[in-house]
Amino acid sequence: MPRYLPALAVLVLASPLRADEGKAHWAWKKPTRPAVPVVAGTRPANPIDAFIRAKLDAAKLAPAPRATPEALVRRVTFDLTGLPPTPEEVEAFVRDTSPGAWAKVVDRLLASTHYGERWGRHWLDLARYADTNGYEFDEPRPDAWRYRDYVIRALNADVPYDRFVTEQLAGDEVFGGDPAARVATGFNLLGPDMTDSSDQAQRRLNTLNDMTDTAALAFLGLTLTCARCHDHKFEPIPQADYFRFQAFFAPAAFRTDLAVATPAERQAHADAETRYQAATKDVRAALDAVEAPHRQKLFEAKLAKLPADTQAAHRTPADKRTGGQIELVEQSMAKVRVVDAEVAKTLSADEKKSADGLRAKLKAFDAQKPRPLPTAMGLTDRPGPPPKTHVLERGELGNKGAEVQPGFPTTLVPGATDAAVSPVPPGSGRRAALAKWVTSADNPLTARVIVNRLWQHHFGRGIVATASDFGVKGTPPTHPELLDWLACELVEGGWTLKRMHRLMLLSETYQQSTAVSADAARVDPSNALVARMNRLRLEGEAVRDAMLAASGRLNRKTGGPGVVLPELARAAGGSRPVPATADASEHSRRSVYLFARRNLRDPFLEAFDLPDSNQSCPKRERSTTAPQALSLLNSAEAMAAAKALAARVEREAADEPARVDRAYQLVLGRAPTAAERERAAAFLRESPLTELCRALFNLNEFVYLD
Amino acid sequence: MTPFPDRRAFLRNAGCGFGALALAALLDEEARAQTPPDPLAPKAPHHEAAAKRVIFLFMSGGPSHVDTFDPKPELTRLHGRPLPASFGPVKTRRGVDRNRLLASRRTFQRHGQSGTEVSDWFPHIGSCVDDICLLRGCYGDSVTHPESVYLMNTGSILMGRPSLGAWATYGLGTENRNMPAFVVMPDPGGWPKGGAPAWGNGYLPAAYQGTVVRGGPSPVAHLATPNGVRAEQQRRTLDFVGEANRAHAAARPLDTELAARVAAYELAFRMQAHAPEVVDLSKETDETKRLYGLDRAETAEFGTRCLLARRMVERGVRFVQLYSGDTNGWDGHSDLEGNHGRLALASDKPVAGLLTDLKRRGLLRDTLVVWGGEFGRTPMTEGTNGRDHNPHGFSMWLAGGGARGGAVVGSTDPIGLRAADGKTHVHDVQATILHLLGLNHRRLTFRHNGRNERLTDNGGELIEAALA
Repeated sequence: MPRYLPALAVLVLASPLRADEGKAHWAWKKPTRPAVPVVAGTRPANPIDAFIRAKLDAAKLAPAPRATPEALVRRVTFDLTGLPPTPEEVEAFVRDTSPGAWAKVVDRLLASTHYGERWGRHWLDLARYADTNGYEFDEPRPDAWRYRDYVIRALNADVPYDRFVTEQLAGDEVFGGDPAARVATGFNLLGPDMTDSSDQAQRRLNTLNDMTDTAALAFLGLTLTCARCHDHKFEPIPQADYFRFQAFFAPAAFRTDLAVATPAERQAHADAETRYQAATKDVRAALDAVEAPHRQKLFEAKLAKLPADTQAAHRTPADKRTGGQIELVEQSMAKVRVVDAEVAKTLSADEKKSADGLRAKLKAFDAQKPRPLPTAMGLTDRPGPPPKTHVLERGELGNKGAEVQPGFPTTLVPGATDAAVSPVPPGSGRRAALAKWVTSADNPLTARVIVNRLWQHHFGRGIVATASDFGVKGTPPTHPELLDWLACELVEGGWTLKRMHRLMLLSETYQQSTAVSADAARVDPSNALVARMNRLRLEGEAVRDAMLAASGRLNRKTGGPGVVLPELARAAGGSRPVPATADASEHSRRSVYLFARRNLRDPFLEAFDLPDSNQSCPKRERSTTAPQALSLLNSAEAMAAAKALAARVEREAADEPARVDRAYQLVLGRAPTAAERERAAAFLRESPLTELCRALFNLNEFVYLD
Repeated sequence: MTPFPDRRAFLRNAGCGFGALALAALLDEEARAQTPPDPLAPKAPHHEAAAKRVIFLFMSGGPSHVDTFDPKPELTRLHGRPLPASFGPVKTRRGVDRNRLLASRRTFQRHGQSGTEVSDWFPHIGSCVDDICLLRGCYGDSVTHPESVYLMNTGSILMGRPSLGAWATYGLGTENRNMPAFVVMPDPGGWPKGGAPAWGNGYLPAAYQGTVVRGGPSPVAHLATPNGVRAEQQRRTLDFVGEANRAHAAARPLDTELAARVAAYELAFRMQAHAPEVVDLSKETDETKRLYGLDRAETAEFGTRCLLARRMVERGVRFVQLYSGDTNGWDGHSDLEGNHGRLALASDKPVAGLLTDLKRRGLLRDTLVVWGGEFGRTPMTEGTNGRDHNPHGFSMWLAGGGARGGAVVGSTDPIGLRAADGKTHVHDVQATILHLLGLNHRRLTFRHNGRNERLTDNGGELIEAALA
């Protein structure tokens, strides 16, 4: 840094960006594949090592030695599956001295269904996933879990990342026939939603803003939010760009009733429905003869109270309604719905008697009624021409400025004005156009952002530390060439994420020990150069899951509606109780399957930095607090785990020394040292085995990975 | 090379001589924003603090200002008439803008040397009025409960932002490590509308969120030793853990996080030993208990929580929030007299007792007490005897901790519909609370998703007239 520029430096840091500044920013330009450096005359087999070593060489630092096999297998098992290795898996890896032993472990773990559960959770943080709406009533979203399962399945199937992104932005338009792709569009609606807002237009705008902000953060590492109310002060993003970006989403209807059944499910349902209809034809006709006139009268009375345009919308045959009319009908449906109880009140005594008898007959057929087909949250465009999008001054709904067309941020696509959009009937094609641009090989951000996220979770710190902010004010990359090389490798390798994981994990850089050399501590205390492995700490989910696994209680069932733990079923400030999952064996399922209430979070996970689910979270905080210690020491979960582990080792080992060994192996993935054996034996002279087990779950070694 | 190298390195290299103050300030904020291994370690304020701690008495549901702290003779005069057209259109939750005006049935009385008028629902609080800075011109942004609860607590009507208590502990840390830094005592009948996010940490580290504390032997979750484990066993198990963790840390020098976790276990043990004492009222005198109304059925519950609040701030808890009223609380859509009468009776003596007790112990000087709900209520009637939500104008008050006692700041229009002169937005109140705590609301920031976020968003002006 030139010493004569401090004044400018302060000005630049403290003052808003001027028009032309930031245009030359590295991240706005498409990455080109850099040459892999030669280090000390040779080129390391894994290009990652070459890039890392080159910088270490320049800083005169040596990489740390390889970690012990026990540490390595524990590290990679938690890293890829969020669960501890079994003692048998540790043993097998320690004994396997073949050159391919490490790759074998990595491939085994990448193929495990637990991989998707672990890495899906990382994605759910970005997607601000929860199972409820938030605000006062915090109503459950009965189908949100389908999105969670979609993410887990997509990652396990190694759906190419460009497709994964496209499905979430525009699955309905691009892969409309694929139910999974329709579920994926639920991504856009996962933020909090005040269903009973006094201002429904504002509510829609809030949701649009949330999906605009989140898509930019999650897929592009772009912080558009600041440009909602004014030209971005620190990035070259004019306010118009915010609304041009939002215009891609503007035609969308926010659906909670997307049909997502497979063709086979639809067929089976239709067949069952036909059978049911045929069997009940006469009863229904008789019932209708009694009730229909009353029902119609009630409907007309309710409809008459609504505004003229709403009445007209209802009176227009369903297939003739305009987009606006469809919406009016949807919005007013609750107001005109006639329920059976209302009809019953208007019947004469004779009519009622006859209707009751027919109803009882009809009820006898209930068992033949097909179960409703699955539905999901997600987007489809409203029919008809897209609504106009305006710049909103100060982001305010009532403060319309110039009209804008959908377009990509001008700083990323210099010279481009409006995006080329081809309609995808019945949709406008806008989101398909957005997805196409986001996943294009020319997009400068998408590939860099995702490989950086993978790097961050594997190594504890991203090459760009601000993983959702690649802008001018984000942290610059520590290894820009490596980042670009990885990004190009991802795209040219067909966007498969598992291949990238493998590349990173097979590097010697990943396999380094966490030990700090004196040189490294002096020259690079924050380990930006990766002269060693960063010591990773288990997140709350991994702590809970590992306690369940080690104590032999983990229920490995996958998928399905979220599990409500009994202690999280209670009412909470305006929100009603949510029924606890009745089957107690469900309560020990993996944390990713726990029902996530916005207004009442699991206190154990919350103590361990579970992020707030109301905004996209690129990186979890990592705090160290007394409440964490108290939950691991005193909570019912901790005590249950200690008891179950004690029972397990008593079952699996014959005498006390063997039980101590087994407990260490199950919790820490290694046998105790001689000194530890002695200390444990002394402890057990005064304390029960349960207490030793409780202590092991509280060790730093349990939650920190060497 | 990028145009912007690492910001800290840049500043360090950018060196001395120029704008040293600006640089120091920037670095100071960066230091605050780095999560240290111990996120709750005490931190220096931005400027000398008048208040070291806060007790926020949150009147959940929205008490009516025109029946409590804001007398409106003109409303009485216009009773039974529709809202005059001159007031223009007004938005309320249940669309009562066309309804008739409803006079207060309360009588107001002047109190203290300042002569501030307070309604007969609050005779005891009235007697403390010379210590109170009454804000009669407050206004907010939403007509609904959760949005307004979030606005008052987190500065945004959208859910998920850090709460005032979280910001205060993020900015200042805490001096008492045996108790949580930010304590919340909701009404036993139910949480406020909007729930726990009202005391959430939002995007701040989880260590700054409010902790729900109750009376009894286990005031904090997971504080009590598990059933069947005796105290000496707990100590033995903790010793085993401590020994092993110290050996583990010794083999891994230079990792401050491992040492911090060892310290966190010691702290947890101390908390376990001391926290029950904090909520143990057995050593309080009968006179003190009577002062808070513990001797009467209608005041005992809220009085107990007020007394607990005093014991906590006395022991250095940074931020205590009490909720008066369950999930519906002061939400008097109908039978306002019955609803408010009950809650006023339940809280008047305890709140006055708290102020009196803090004062005689010398604690009121540097303890800021805040009173207010998420909004006020309409001068128009709802049904025959209720009032709808009114965020357009309402009252709050500050006492002690550098607030100007006996002052009345701002006013509503003649019928109490909208804040008029000297009006103060919720962000202004929040900026003032932070200011009294020694924090500048514009400088107390946290970088999140590319934006330097703060409690007061883009707003907030210090209410100079409220400062002593």
